[in-house]
Amino acid sequence: MALASVRALSYSYPGAQEALSGCSLELEPGEVVALLGPSGGGKSTLLRALAGLVPHFHGGRFSGRVEVAGLDTRRSRPAELAGTVATLFQDPEDQVVFTRVASEVAFGLENLGTPPAEIPPRATEALAAIGAAHLSERPIAELSGGELQRVCLASVLALEPRLLLLDEPTSQLDPDGAAAAIELARSSGAAVVVSEQRPDRVLEACDRVLFVEAGRIREGEPLPAAWLPREVHLPASEPADAAVCRLGDVSFAYDALPVVEGACIELGRGEIVALVGPNGSGKTTLAKLAAGLLEPDTGHVERHGRACYLSQDPGRYLVRERADEEVALAVDGDLARSRRALAAVGLAGFEERHPRDLSSGERERLALAAVLVADPDLLVLDEPTRGVDPERKDELAALLRVQAPGRATLVVTNDLVFASEVADRCVSTGAREVALA
Amino acid sequence: MSPAPAAALLAGLAAAALLADRIVSVAAIAAVLLLVCLRGPAGRRRLYLVGALGSGLAVFLLTPFVSTIGWHVLWSGPSVPVLGRLDVTREELRNGLFQGLRLTAVGLAFAAYALLLDHDRLVQAAGFARRSVLAIALGTRLVPTLERDAAGLVEALRGRGVEVTGARGRARLVAPLLAGSLERALNLAEAMEARGYGRPGATRAPRPPWGVRERGALLLAGLLVAIGALWL
Repeated sequence: MALASVRALSYSYPGAQEALSGCSLELEPGEVVALLGPSGGGKSTLLRALAGLVPHFHGGRFSGRVEVAGLDTRRSRPAELAGTVATLFQDPEDQVVFTRVASEVAFGLENLGTPPAEIPPRATEALAAIGAAHLSERPIAELSGGELQRVCLASVLALEPRLLLLDEPTSQLDPDGAAAAIELARSSGAAVVVSEQRPDRVLEACDRVLFVEAGRIREGEPLPAAWLPREVHLPASEPADAAVCRLGDVSFAYDALPVVEGACIELGRGEIVALVGPNGSGKTTLAKLAAGLLEPDTGHVERHGRACYLSQDPGRYLVRERADEEVALAVDGDLARSRRALAAVGLAGFEERHPRDLSSGERERLALAAVLVADPDLLVLDEPTRGVDPERKDELAALLRVQAPGRATLVVTNDLVFASEVADRCVSTGAREVALA
Repeated sequence: MSPAPAAALLAGLAAAALLADRIVSVAAIAAVLLLVCLRGPAGRRRLYLVGALGSGLAVFLLTPFVSTIGWHVLWSGPSVPVLGRLDVTREELRNGLFQGLRLTAVGLAFAAYALLLDHDRLVQAAGFARRSVLAIALGTRLVPTLERDAAGLVEALRGRGVEVTGARGRARLVAPLLAGSLERALNLAEAMEARGYGRPGATRAPRPPWGVRERGALLLAGLLVAIGALWL
């Protein structure tokens, strides 16, 4: 008997067009289902429907039927389904309730009425399984993006659910961490539905693939070329001659915690360098040092020309009420340049839209336009493919390649496929974090 | 010390400051609380101290102009519509100092609570009204979260070569910060519901038992309120 079934599900968010249209599927206990498809295609909404959050939390128009473990999600609230279903959301930063890791992992167990004596060992076990036992007493605010994603994954695995819904669970994990997280979910015994924008690993681990596009589920059809697994060949060209930025023996510590120690890197005009390495190994800090947002404790940074830095999750940091004004900020309000930059990232026609009305993928592209418009000599991009589907990644890689000759580009990424497509050479930060068990 | 008795102790000190009648008593309580706050992390305490001391100072400065107490006039100013003649009397200054110190003491008690207590353990220690305690803990986090978001915004703008300077530049960040907070609050509420929050029959992870220090702190908190009301 199916663990979960979706029958003729159609759904629209309040005041919006249909997000899901006539979707049907059945999930068997223990099977792993990959949910692929372009951004905004309806993957996250389908996961929310399986968790009962659609329609209970979001409202909107809902038709059809969703059942999980015999419970009709229209009659059972998400909190009642919790435990049977566990959901990992896209943005780990927005799902954290407590300030310390151990309390965060214990939160779900407490809500489900787990006997008190069982809570600490189950929380510890879940953290250990995901390779994050050493983070147990750390404040959440001090974790890197990848470390936080591991903690959130431990929080849902600790619940030992029958249906595990993972919305881009590896978007901030390093390659080893991503592989181990998928394997851990697969071996948990739960039915797993995993939405991914880095499909390679999940395609290896899954039993079925569902492609969700424009609110409809396609199954059994060949995947579009961009979604097929690709081989990774990390490039290793010689460094370019004309250095735009040079970091010499640079060290940096947050309070007493050393993050970068004795790093040397040189970025030349015309080259794209991918900065890869394990979570928590100081990639973002190194990128900020290169861009001039941080000053090193020791060592020296030499920079020629203007540097621009695009932060992780840049869609969160938009300040104006129109897209063209947002982009024009970096060029003293020059709206003509701003519109050209918007067109270059595929946002022509979005000039008058409010940035917060855009989808998350559109916001990321808007933020990219906001740095490209300045035509910097040094462009630093921190995880620019987070939440970006493979087709958009190809477009981004092509755009960066076209613009590469005029500048030095540093791309911080855990996405080795993207690194191999876009970069001339790769630089790796050292291992800091304990590998996944 | 367990955070629950520590929170009670801070609340006792704040209550004593509100109940006391003498300036010197309130000043002493504020000084004790200031010393406690100085034990907080250097990077975070500045905002809280500026808030607590600044609001107290503002009350001290404004009170003489908006109240009419006493007859020992120290300065006589012009007549202003609605407010009338702007006089400053010795009694008004004394009252301004008293109210300013009270507000400072309460502000510093909150600062010590926000800076020094482990809010996770406070929520776990709550034997009743756990949802309310969690709401307070989440509310307390609003200040550091906004601070972090503001730093992120400033950094993102600096990354584009846009420097945020002056009061006007910072004021422009208020609207996006509030919009971001609302988005975050909605996402957090959704995640909490998905993790079973609000379901009946919730349990708590075991907490360490209270020792003599914790019980003593609770007793002292009660005594502080009584002393503030009767003798200070």
